[in-house]
Amino acid sequence: MTDLTRTAPIAVPATRRAGRLRAVLRSPSGVVGLVLVGLLTVAGLLSFTGLLPYDPVAQDPPNRLLSPSGEHLFGTDQFGRDVFSRVAAGVGSSVLISVVAVTLATVVGTLGGLVAGFFRGFTDTAIGGLTNVLFAFPPLLLALALASVFDRNWFTVAVAIAVVYAPIFVRVTRGPVLSLREIEYVKAATSTGQGRLSILFRHVLPNIGSIVIVQVTLSLSWAVLTEASLSFLGLGTPPPAASLGSMIFDARTLVEIAPWTMIAPGVAVVLLVVGLNLLGDGLRDALDPRNRGGRAR
Amino acid sequence: MSHRTRIARSALATLSGATALSLVLAGCSDSGSSDGDGPAGGDLVIGVTSDPDTLFPWKATQFQAVNVLENIYGSLTELDSDMTVVPGLAEEWETSDDGLTLTFFLRDGVTFQDGSALDSADVVFSLESIKDEATAAVAASSLAAVESVEAPDEHTVELHLASPDASLPANLASVNMSILSSDDTEEELNGQPNGTGPFTFDDRVSSQSITLVRNEEFWGYPAGLGSVEFRVIPDESAIVSALQSGNVQMAVFDDPLVAQTAESGDVTVDPTAQLSYHALMLNATRGDLADVNVRLAVQCAIDRQQVLDTAALGEGEVTGPITSPAYRSDPQARPCPERDLDQAAEYLADSGRSDVTIDAIVSQGEYATSVNEAQNIQAQLAEAGITLELEVLESGAYVDRWVAGDFDAAVALNGGNPDPNGMYGRYFTSDGNLNAVAGYSSPELDELFAEGRSVEDPEERREIYRQISAHLEENAAWIWMFTSYSYTAMTSSVQGFTAMPNGSLRFLRTTALTS
Amino acid sequence: MLRTLTHHPVARRAAAALATLFGVAVFVFVLLRAIPGDQITAALGTEAAALTPAQRSDLEAYYGIDQPLVLQFFSWLGNLLTGNLGYSTRSHESVLELTLRSLPVTFELALLAILIALLIGIPLGMLSASRPDSPRDAAGQLVGLAGLSIPAFLLATTLLSVLASNFGFNPNGQAFAPLFEDPVLNLQQLLLPSLVLGFGIAAPIMRTTRTAVLEVRSNDFVRTARAKGVGARRLQVRHVLGNALVPIVTMVGLQFGYLLGGAVVVEQVFSVPGIGRQVLLGIQQKDYALVQSTVLVIAAAFVLVNLLTDLAYRLIDPRVRAA
Repeated sequence: MTDLTRTAPIAVPATRRAGRLRAVLRSPSGVVGLVLVGLLTVAGLLSFTGLLPYDPVAQDPPNRLLSPSGEHLFGTDQFGRDVFSRVAAGVGSSVLISVVAVTLATVVGTLGGLVAGFFRGFTDTAIGGLTNVLFAFPPLLLALALASVFDRNWFTVAVAIAVVYAPIFVRVTRGPVLSLREIEYVKAATSTGQGRLSILFRHVLPNIGSIVIVQVTLSLSWAVLTEASLSFLGLGTPPPAASLGSMIFDARTLVEIAPWTMIAPGVAVVLLVVGLNLLGDGLRDALDPRNRGGRAR
Repeated sequence: MSHRTRIARSALATLSGATALSLVLAGCSDSGSSDGDGPAGGDLVIGVTSDPDTLFPWKATQFQAVNVLENIYGSLTELDSDMTVVPGLAEEWETSDDGLTLTFFLRDGVTFQDGSALDSADVVFSLESIKDEATAAVAASSLAAVESVEAPDEHTVELHLASPDASLPANLASVNMSILSSDDTEEELNGQPNGTGPFTFDDRVSSQSITLVRNEEFWGYPAGLGSVEFRVIPDESAIVSALQSGNVQMAVFDDPLVAQTAESGDVTVDPTAQLSYHALMLNATRGDLADVNVRLAVQCAIDRQQVLDTAALGEGEVTGPITSPAYRSDPQARPCPERDLDQAAEYLADSGRSDVTIDAIVSQGEYATSVNEAQNIQAQLAEAGITLELEVLESGAYVDRWVAGDFDAAVALNGGNPDPNGMYGRYFTSDGNLNAVAGYSSPELDELFAEGRSVEDPEERREIYRQISAHLEENAAWIWMFTSYSYTAMTSSVQGFTAMPNGSLRFLRTTALTS
Repeated sequence: MLRTLTHHPVARRAAAALATLFGVAVFVFVLLRAIPGDQITAALGTEAAALTPAQRSDLEAYYGIDQPLVLQFFSWLGNLLTGNLGYSTRSHESVLELTLRSLPVTFELALLAILIALLIGIPLGMLSASRPDSPRDAAGQLVGLAGLSIPAFLLATTLLSVLASNFGFNPNGQAFAPLFEDPVLNLQQLLLPSLVLGFGIAAPIMRTTRTAVLEVRSNDFVRTARAKGVGARRLQVRHVLGNALVPIVTMVGLQFGYLLGGAVVVEQVFSVPGIGRQVLLGIQQKDYALVQSTVLVIAAAFVLVNLLTDLAYRLIDPRVRAA
């Protein structure tokens, strides 16, 4: 499945921070991505502020399945709920879940990778073994089983997704940490008697920053897709809360009489993922010196 | 897509093969073409979302399993399309004057699929095994009144009862009461069913399909169809697609929206009112709900029609406790038949409680309308100053809590039963096996239920169950909401099928396909 | 002797693979039992409330869940070692039989999906790379982006309902035809699901191809070849693609491994009786033996595919072989 692709790490040497943002803004895809993600996130944030035109879960049966109009921008669904408000709320929860999931995965995975690569020995074996186990477990089924274990709420879903993606961060960071360890100035720092933790966080972590950032952008778009797939399978945020995947699931039976109920959440999820992918591309171009100027060839 | 086990659909039905008109029609349609090698009459394909979870009739509660098995097996009595009890493997039966002996006279010349003949020993074996706890048969409690089963001769079976039980003939009309051959074991039957029904088991590909063929030796009129295939298509909208492209000729849906989309071109959809009912179960042994005034306040604060309209698009009927046609409760006969917030406030004042908070469990995925119902009830109760805290649970977790009776309130869809004693005796008598879940009983109810079991006369029984119904409503034991429909979608080539209030596919035996 | 054996890379890889599988076994066992409900409530629903304690313990014995957990785990594992994957109490078949039926289906689906992905991805990647930053490149990249961004379930449901209701094309409404019984129908039934999956995988393959081609072209040996007058087309195919093969093979291996357990949604929507659906059903039914053994089979296949990819990688890339 595309939504669960876990690609091999792309090794990106560290570059200086200055100019990164400008570099992102110089790549057209980065700009488009930034705009898309920005717009959708703002729309999603509205749902947390109560500024949406309608309450996304309030039912209004007399006005069910209205086609799009000035009053209901994207029409209404089978319970008379405003589809625009629901899509906005769905984007909001999708972004929230994905950001929390990727943050968890990043923190836990990167720490795991750092510790494993730097301290080697038993720690490395243990973390590596756990990573292998999680990798070999079919990802969607893993998320599915995890999401069934606990009381269903958005945080459980985020944790389930985080467990699936944390191993990637371990893999991506461990290798570079291994080689950094052997680099002269790190060795020098060790010989001058600096604490191992201080070396880890002062010298090693900053140097894998860009690798982590690139992985974060990739993971965000996968997390959005995974969250949508889970709620499509009925294992995402529980109803009545709006979720893009479950809206699409419900709309399948309505697609002929009320196509907007399918199109609105469908387009929203695609645009969100497209935006995240483009933003990721822009960021990668900006961070990866190989691509700098390479495109002009 | 999600597998929907329908709750308590087991205690259900069988039906006579004697619906003359459609039978004759079905008979005519294939009489000329039966010279081929396969059975004539057409091969019907029914789209289902899940395959049976067991092929052993005594343990089958899943909807899909019941639907398949009731076509393979037979029981002593059966149910007609209006839920009245009609003869099955027993041609007739009589109750002794003291009501303590029930004698069944078996039909002649009935054979099992393996060719062996049915006799009274099989019936004794079956009923005794069902009653035996070691079998873990789901209908064991229906035979609670039965002390012993005897076979005076090959064609007669006597049931000796500890106390009269007028609901027994209806309770026997269930696939969970199937008569099995005394030579068979659960192990064997799970691989190779062996019944006396209108169809016989032909083939199964696990989680893909199960195929039955016509039983030429059936004691009634042979089925019109040559074969019936239950084809597993896990996604409901994919079943709709398969109906439209003609790969599947029949399907039964619960969701009115799905049914609505299925209806097009060659496909017609018919709603059938169901015995199962939507209710807010209250546990009268817990917290504020122990006070009858609080329960009555809840009762008065809810507009049932509004719940039905918002959650189920108005597709259904407001109902009282008893849903079977012959004993149906009058939905107007209850305190506050219409929503009455003033009355609710008065009841709350009587209770002397403020800040009433009720925790309700809601299942997600078990049936389509649960969460929407819960939400609407929550909103209505809020207007009456009662807080309903919803706990939306995965169906496994929900069932765990339900079974343990671990809830203040539960938004539930419970299975119905043609006999009101079978339907509520187990919930609302103090020694009923589901009384802990029901959370309510009273000496008056115990007495009324005992009376209902001992009386044979239909008029008298109706009156007793009217009183039971009134008692349940006046004490707001639960809040009964509405019954919904099931929708049978068929292509125009399917003829002679009648849907039943319990969702049963018994009438496949009278169905035929025209080309 | 023993020392050299335990230090042989292949032996070490094999040991690590076994350890991983053991970990998966423990994990799936614990995870399953943490999900609320058991097989009795999954089968009986709320009707389970009517069971007497005696009936309940009989049923527990029947489903084999009356034993202590540790005992259940090791008896399952012990059976696995003898090739007995357990018995599915739901379908009354051995898990081995069920898996032998569903694994080949998913295997075929994954192969077809990869094939489609390669057919779309490689030409598209080469097209894009042939003139970077041109409209041609943009078009190629856009297709790739679409593949990455459209959820499989959205594409699947849309295709299915549009084709069935507007064109009456719905081979998946027919009973599933195994490949060797009815190859024509079988391929029709797998066409849409593998297209959906293939389209998603085409994107990373397209991107990998594009990057690889761009990178290889900048290398010295290509410049040398060009200077020696090797034709542009020949250069493209022989050298460039030849060298881009390494990352593509890696990518394909990875994707294939994930498809084995990751095609669940598509299998579900198109009623394809594959191994992903087998696990999904098992989870819903709390069919412990079925889920445990099937997940382990998928994990084993994944580990094996990774090993093979590694091997293929060594064969293709002379640098790795030398090292």
